[in-house]
Amino acid sequence: MKLLRLEFYKCRRRGILLICAAVLGVELAWMSVYSARQSPEEMRQGWMILLYNLALVDAIILPLAVATLASRSCELEHKGNTWKLLETLAGPGKLYAAKLGWGALVLAGLLALRSALFLGVGLRQGVEGPAPLGRFGLFTLLSWLVSLMVYALQQGLSMRFANQAVALVCGISGSFLGLLSLLFPPAITRCVPWGYYGLLALAGMDWNETTRITRFFWRWPAPADLALLALWGAAFLLAGWAMFVHKEV
Amino acid sequence: MNCIETRDLCKRYGNALRVSHLNLRVPEGSVYGFLGPNGAGKSTTLKMILGLVRPTAGQIRVLGKPMDGAHRLGVLRQVGSLIESPSYYGHLTGEENLRIVQTLRGLPQRQVGEVLGIVRLEGQKDKPVAHYSLGMKQRLGLAQALLGYPRLLILDEPTNGLDPAGIQEMRQLICSLPGRFGMTVVVSSHLLSEIDQMADQVAIIREGEMVFQDSLEALHSRSRHHLALRTSDNPAARTLLKERAVPCGEEEGYLILPLLTDQDAGRLTRFLARNRVGVIRLEERQKSLEEIFLELTGKEESL
Repeated sequence: MKLLRLEFYKCRRRGILLICAAVLGVELAWMSVYSARQSPEEMRQGWMILLYNLALVDAIILPLAVATLASRSCELEHKGNTWKLLETLAGPGKLYAAKLGWGALVLAGLLALRSALFLGVGLRQGVEGPAPLGRFGLFTLLSWLVSLMVYALQQGLSMRFANQAVALVCGISGSFLGLLSLLFPPAITRCVPWGYYGLLALAGMDWNETTRITRFFWRWPAPADLALLALWGAAFLLAGWAMFVHKEV
Repeated sequence: MNCIETRDLCKRYGNALRVSHLNLRVPEGSVYGFLGPNGAGKSTTLKMILGLVRPTAGQIRVLGKPMDGAHRLGVLRQVGSLIESPSYYGHLTGEENLRIVQTLRGLPQRQVGEVLGIVRLEGQKDKPVAHYSLGMKQRLGLAQALLGYPRLLILDEPTNGLDPAGIQEMRQLICSLPGRFGMTVVVSSHLLSEIDQMADQVAIIREGEMVFQDSLEALHSRSRHHLALRTSDNPAARTLLKERAVPCGEEEGYLILPLLTDQDAGRLTRFLARNRVGVIRLEERQKSLEEIFLELTGKEESL
């Protein structure tokens, strides 16, 4: 707990709130563009379309946001040569866990705020039907779990390489690959860690070629996909932990 | 009691043995100078002592306990260190940096103010460390190491990058630590003069191997006096000296003799003159510590 508290202390004046505000601002702007392009017929499908679009925007924005947050948290240690000081005061495993805990809490706050914001936007715009609070809650939890898996990958890279360009390039590629993977069959999407934002979306889309009508529908994430998500997360955690713990400073 | 003891400590990187069979003995209460040219393996050794680098072979005991996974962090609670360059968070103030170490060590808050006073940084404590000069960062690093008033302080080249006044100040501070706080200080340097002014025990390493370890006094005693003689015919003089059973060597045109009494030196010059060998110079010389260091390390270029 002491180490976790110190992570927040160390990140003072590192612009973390600004990054979170920027993520919310970009998502809001992107969603506004999407909504403007939606037909009145599509708009009648209300909350489903909102959660569907939000999952797509997540797949683009969150990989980069997660990479930036992980980089901000680890870069300060490389910049000030503090690993060697910290490792005389605490075990490397605990240092790794504290950084991960910090990322998990910041992402939880960011994503909860994000969901509350879009729930508010939906209510304000008078989206048809009752607000699906349960689905919003589950959507928040799922996007947090996917972000945590991606965070484990990004933290591993940011801790291992002093040059943060490596981690940031990975984040940018993730944004691109995450979105691209959604155009392929689910079997391929499952092989792309960033693709899980879309893969686990709670709303699906069906476009009828003859009627040219787009229909949205609710769906639940497949248990196999959740298991795969856990596997990806465990793999990144173990690899990042091992790389950090065995690295000599 | 020895604060640090290593036995056959080795570290290999690839095919190169950077630290080779080191047996360090750091007596409690001493200022232990760890001397060697750049790249001799000083920092690697100190990092191994702190458990930051895993030894390839050998054993390390610090404050009587082995530095293994089970004891490492417990032992390090009584050890302060400043390795290579100071560690700091540039966006935080000096005081905030110290708060982090104070919290991690579980120390009372008042110690932050105390160590700021010791290193004379009270006036700069609210400034972001990124705006500190190198000397101030070095002093902040020392303050971090002093938090908790550890029994053992390990300082790796603490005067690096300091101006002459800063070096003098750091030196005085280090010398005062055993007396003021009962600390044992290990200080590494590639400068003999620095260690000569601070340490009472000295270890010298060269290419990872220990070439000297004893008191500073013992190192000084190596700088024996001798006579240097230059004559009109050195080969003839050498033969004559051999007849008289006076041991002698030759160095840069001078015959090097052991120190003789005034009477013996007088008798020797008369004897050489009688044999038609003119004495041009007869000088009393003493090897400087620097010469001894160079002899031991064989690294003239690093000084």
